[in-house]
Order: sequence, then structure tokens, then C-alpha cells
Amino acid sequence: MLKRLAWLALSVCAPLYAAPHVDNSRLQQLADSRFWISIGHYESGKLGGWRSYVDDPKFFLAVNGAHDPKAELAATLEAIYRPVVQGKEDLHPQCVYPSRTRFLRDELKLTDLPAVDCKEFNKWFSDVAPDSTVLIFPAAYLNSPSSMFGHTLLRIDQADVQTNKTALLSYAINFGAYIEGSDNSILYAWKGLMGGYPGLFALVPYQEKLSEYRSLENRDLWEYRLNLTPEETRRMVEHVWELKQIRFGYFFFDENCSYRLLELLQVARPSLNLTPQFRLTAIPTDTVRAVQDAGLVEKIDYRPSKERELLSRAEPLSHDEKQWVLKVSADQQQLQSPEYLAVPKERRALIQDAAYRLERYRANGEERDAARSQRSYDLLRAISTNPPPALEIERPGLPEDGHESRTWQLGAGTRDDKAFAEYGLRMAYHDLNDNAYGFPLGAQIEILQLKLRQYENNKWQVQRLDLATIRSLTPRNELLQPWSWQVAGGLERVLGKHGDENLVSHVNGGAGGTWKLGDDVLGFALGTVRVEHNNDFDALVSPAAGFDTGVLWRNSLGNLSLETKGDYFTNGEVRRNISLNQQWELSRNLGLRLSAQREFSQLSSPVNEVMLELKWYHY
Amino acid sequence: MKRILLGTLLAAASLNAMAQAPGGPDCGWGNLLFEGQRGTPAHFLASTTNGTSGNATFGMTSGTNGCSTNSALTYGGKSWFAMNGMMDELSKDMAMGQGEALTTYAVVLGVAPEDRAHFAAVTHEHYQQIFNKADATAEDVHTNTIDVLKNDPALAKYATQA
Repeated sequence: MLKRLAWLALSVCAPLYAAPHVDNSRLQQLADSRFWISIGHYESGKLGGWRSYVDDPKFFLAVNGAHDPKAELAATLEAIYRPVVQGKEDLHPQCVYPSRTRFLRDELKLTDLPAVDCKEFNKWFSDVAPDSTVLIFPAAYLNSPSSMFGHTLLRIDQADVQTNKTALLSYAINFGAYIEGSDNSILYAWKGLMGGYPGLFALVPYQEKLSEYRSLENRDLWEYRLNLTPEETRRMVEHVWELKQIRFGYFFFDENCSYRLLELLQVARPSLNLTPQFRLTAIPTDTVRAVQDAGLVEKIDYRPSKERELLSRAEPLSHDEKQWVLKVSADQQQLQSPEYLAVPKERRALIQDAAYRLERYRANGEERDAARSQRSYDLLRAISTNPPPALEIERPGLPEDGHESRTWQLGAGTRDDKAFAEYGLRMAYHDLNDNAYGFPLGAQIEILQLKLRQYENNKWQVQRLDLATIRSLTPRNELLQPWSWQVAGGLERVLGKHGDENLVSHVNGGAGGTWKLGDDVLGFALGTVRVEHNNDFDALVSPAAGFDTGVLWRNSLGNLSLETKGDYFTNGEVRRNISLNQQWELSRNLGLRLSAQREFSQLSSPVNEVMLELKWYHY
Repeated sequence: MKRILLGTLLAAASLNAMAQAPGGPDCGWGNLLFEGQRGTPAHFLASTTNGTSGNATFGMTSGTNGCSTNSALTYGGKSWFAMNGMMDELSKDMAMGQGEALTTYAVVLGVAPEDRAHFAAVTHEHYQQIFNKADATAEDVHTNTIDVLKNDPALAKYATQA
């Protein structure tokens, strides 16, 4: 019937490139279909209507295509009937929009489309040869807590990847901000957050991404093989071609890589409904979780970072053997020394391997250096005559099985003799004491936390507003000596005159070291600086220097921290604090925390505070 | 920074204009061993944009350092230019006698599954002949591999395949 209508329409309006006439309700029906909405990247606007996430006029064929899926559909239908220009086949809409073309052809049974030989697209498509899809999640790196937010990308595998183990030859689809020129770095971060850069899709060799994450950024990689069929994978990749050099808005929190990839998965399998739950923020771990919950994951593989490989290789070595690692990595003459050759052969195999990995670790992010390359090469030659056994690294907890990102907090406690209740919300993400599964010990990143306190007699006050709190306590060892550091800023209550709690605004930071004291025990010591605006002080802002030191112990209940810190202000005020926190992990998304602290100030006598707090990790 | 530049270059030039024969001026074939990798150590900055430096390439030439993929340097349907970026991994795997990059190398050279263990053993044994110096290029490594394969009765057939 439809086809007959179409033919009829053809004969009536033949002068327009023979595009069929499709009646209005059918057009509307197609324009409303999930697939069309997905490939146009439309979202329903807040006041009704539609808006496309695509921020690029060249993506649309209709003038108002960004807001009108139906107009865009009608324009596309017309465009794919345009006559083919010899030598410019690749510019024909059928070649530019293979996914739209297939959709319309299948739905409207278009049998009379002009035949176009899309050379560029066909070559590209056969080069990528999509067959299956793997979701890639580079996990957080301890010394870069901001990486806790992570990143996600898709790997497109050819049919033989699993049998031949050639994932290194696959391509990855990456969505990221596109940075032109050389912005200075602060501006770069700010613009990245605020959407100052357009977001673009890129197709890059997976192997490039691997070295970027595993070597340069020292992040473990998780590979989630999805159960998308070859047909679904091909449908998605076909659409990715339509996004070549097409600009999207890019916002760190929501319209980021993870959100875009969920959209792509919906193109692959239109019955999926993954994006609606992420209208406000899309944190990569949460998106991994959503993909898991949708039943898409078939198999999970783990690739440790280069740093983890180095540390694992060195782990069974004794102190003396680690000294050999340092010696032979610095001077390969040592490989021939009688003392070294006296070490058993199997142990030397491990030492040489660790030394090689250390050399490569140190070369990270550096230009090629002839002397270092020679050292690496000499170590490899030694390895080739005495190879170590393959490195077996135990898989850590799955990141998506860790607690969820947003936290609601409800506490009750006493401050000296006053009882209070405390209500808190933290938008993201994890502190040193929070439920530990899936998170590295000693990493903390908190974004936007508000705590309100209610004292007796219904007296309410803002207790604290943290904009961001980042702490990175990475243990130092014989081979690697990373710095530990922290930064924080916001509003908080401090001890003031007559035992009052003053709300002050502050920024502070610190640097120092962390050491592994036992299997699950870290000790840290940092020097700190602070600037504060405090109504008790005469100056508008008052600087202070101080210390922050403590221990962190992962025990069977949860994480315990014992911490003491001090701030010595230039105006004479000395503020010190000692605190004890023990988390009791009730379930994956529920924790109970006991906190006790004693505060000291020159302005007042010491004050004790004890609080029991329920933490619900939700969404 | 280099990566940003490269990305911009590739994005600006059309796919075919970039493609060159090995040894051509813009064809990066012949990466040195331990070429290294420059990158911004500023993790926070990198992660605000999710770790990309605006590399808006779209496959094809991006894995081949601008070299033509149409030449005869393709084995088993896969261009072994892809190995260019895996030199460090390959050198380590071959020294150890096992590993993913070494398997990939075997596949790219067209070595049949049943011969891959033997391939790994032979290349490991001749490691110092294949990676004969610290500044070996990918091209040297390939040439030396072919020489080694020629002298092995079971693998010689892979040395002539083109």
C-alpha cells in the first residue's frame, strides 16, 4: 500500500529528485521511532519539543533539523534521492549518512534509490571490519584521584580477535573534548568543565589508547565484552561514520564520553534504555554499572597498569634483591659482576625483569634518550637469555561493584554537652573511610558536599560546604617514591572565641609522603598550608602553615583512620585537631561511621565531639 | 603536545593525501625502539576532558603513521604497520618468549595458529639477532625477522609470503 502510494507520489512530483511522497502520519511515526531519535541524538526539551546534542549545523539537512526530527527525516528522505555526481560520490548523502539511509530504505522499502558507490565509507568500514564490541574502562589511578571519575571507550573487534588474540589490532571509538591550539592548562581544565570545547568522536588504534592509559597514566584497564551481535555492532559503527568530524557539546559532568557511548549502544540495540537515568551526571563507573544491569556484559578481562606490573614483579623480592634491581637498572656492567652472578638464576630472572620495568617506568612521558634506551636494551638482552615466568597478577575488585557515587548522610552526636543531628549530601564520590571494595586504599575525591547541623532547640546551621576535597596517599617504597598530596576548599566550622563554631571559608593543600606500615596499614605525613577568611581575625585573609599526619588501617569492619593535624597562623592562632574515624561496612551501599575528635584553639578551651553517622551510597 | 599536533594534522589532511610509501617524507614507518611517549603528567587536567587530547582522527591512516596501506606490506588482511606502535611491547615479549604483542606479530606475519608457539620460540631464541641494537627501527626488526624465518624449515614459508 505504502509503496503504491509512494509510486503515485513519484509520478506527481517527479521534478524533485524522485523522492517518494510519504504521508504525514507515517513520517511522524518514523520520526518518533527510537532509532531515529537515537541517531539524531535528540533529547526531549524541558519545555516539550526536541533538541539535539549535536552542536554542528553540518550534521543536519533541514534548517531546523536540530529541533525537529520530522523535518530532518523528510529532508533526509529527499536528500538520499539526489542525483549522483560523477567523481563526488563520497559527498552524496547516502555516503555521508549510511545509517539514516539504511533506516529509511528498510522502513519505507525504498527500492528505487539511486545507486551510489561510497568508496571512502566502504573502505573505512572494511578496514574496521566490525564484528563485536568491548566496553573499555580505565580505572582510577591512586596518585590521580580525579581519574576516579574514569573514562570509558568502546573497542570494535574484528571477527578473529578472540581466536587469534589480536585485540592490539582493534580500533577504539573514543569521545572526548577536542582541543585546538595550546591553551594554558588552567584554562583548559576550566573550559573542559564548562563546555568550552566541542566534543568529537575519534577512531584510534586501541593499542595507542592502551599505552596512553597503562603506561602514561598508570591506570588498570577493564574490558567488558558486550553481547552485541555482529549486526548490532555494524549498525553502531555505521552510525559512527555519520559522526565523523561532527561537533557535540562537551561537559565534564554529564555530556561526556560515557553518556555518548551509552547513546551509541542504544543505536546498536534500540530496545536498550540506558541514557534516561543519567540526565544530571554520568560518572563512568555508574555507566559501566548500567551496562552490567542491562545484561550486556558477556565477559570481563583485566589489564594491569605498567606500574602495577612493576610492583607485582618486585613484590616477592627481598630487600637485597630490590637493591640489585636498583643497581642493575642503573648500571648493566653489574649484570656480569661475580656478586650478582652468585644470586640464583631464577631470582636473577626476576631482578632483571623488575629492573627493565623500572627503567621503562622512569622513561614514561620522556622523549627518547639514547643512554636510557641502551640500558633498556641491555636489560632485555639479559632477559632473553634468562627469561622470567609470566607475570600473574590477581584481579582486584570490580570497580562497578564498589559503592555508588552519591551519598546521603544522617548523623547524631554530641559536641561537649550539646546534642545535635547532622544531615549531609555529597554529590561524589569517595573518602578515605568510605566502603572500600573496588577503591584503592589512600585515595579520596569529594565534589560538592553540604552538611547541615541541627542543635537542640531547633537551632540550624550550615556545618560545612566542600567544593572539592582531594587526597592522594600513595605509598613510597624502595623502587618508587611518589609524593602524597591533598587539596581542599570550601566553607567549614572552626573553633572560635568562647567555644563558638565559626563558619570560615578556606583553601588548603599539602604534600608529603606515605609509607606502607603493614599489609593493610598506611602511615602518612604531610606539610600543609592554608588561607582562611575568618570573622574572628582582623585581616581579611589569614595564612597558616602546619602538618597533617596519621595512619589508615583497612580492617575487617571497614577503614579506620587516626589523624592529627595542626595549623599555625601568622597572627598567632594555633589550631590543632586529633580525630578517629572507623567505618563499619554494613552492605555495599550502606555504612555506619563512628567519628570522635578533640579540637584545640588559642581562642577557647578544647572541645570534644563524637558522632555516629549512617551513610547511604545511592545513585 | 605532539599528539595534539598530530591529531590536528591528520584531521586537516584528507585520508588519501596522507598516505605515502614507506620511507616517504611523511610516512612515519621506522619507529625507533623505545621511541618513548610524551604526554602531560597533569592528571587532573587530562581527566577533565576524559583523557583525550583532541585526537579527532578516524581510523585508516591513524594506525599507519601516514604510510600507504595499499602497498604489498599487508599480510593476512592486516597491515603490519600496526606493529609500529608496538615496538617496545614486542621487544619485551620476544625477549621473554611470550606475550600478546608477540602473538599479534605472528598473526600479522600470517603465521598459522599451529606454528605460533614455534614462532615464539624461534624469535625468542634469535632475539639478539632480530633486535640487534638499541636504536633498531621497526623496519630493521621486520627485515631481521624475515631472515630468521628463512632459516627455519617450519617457518620459512612465512618469509616469502607477501
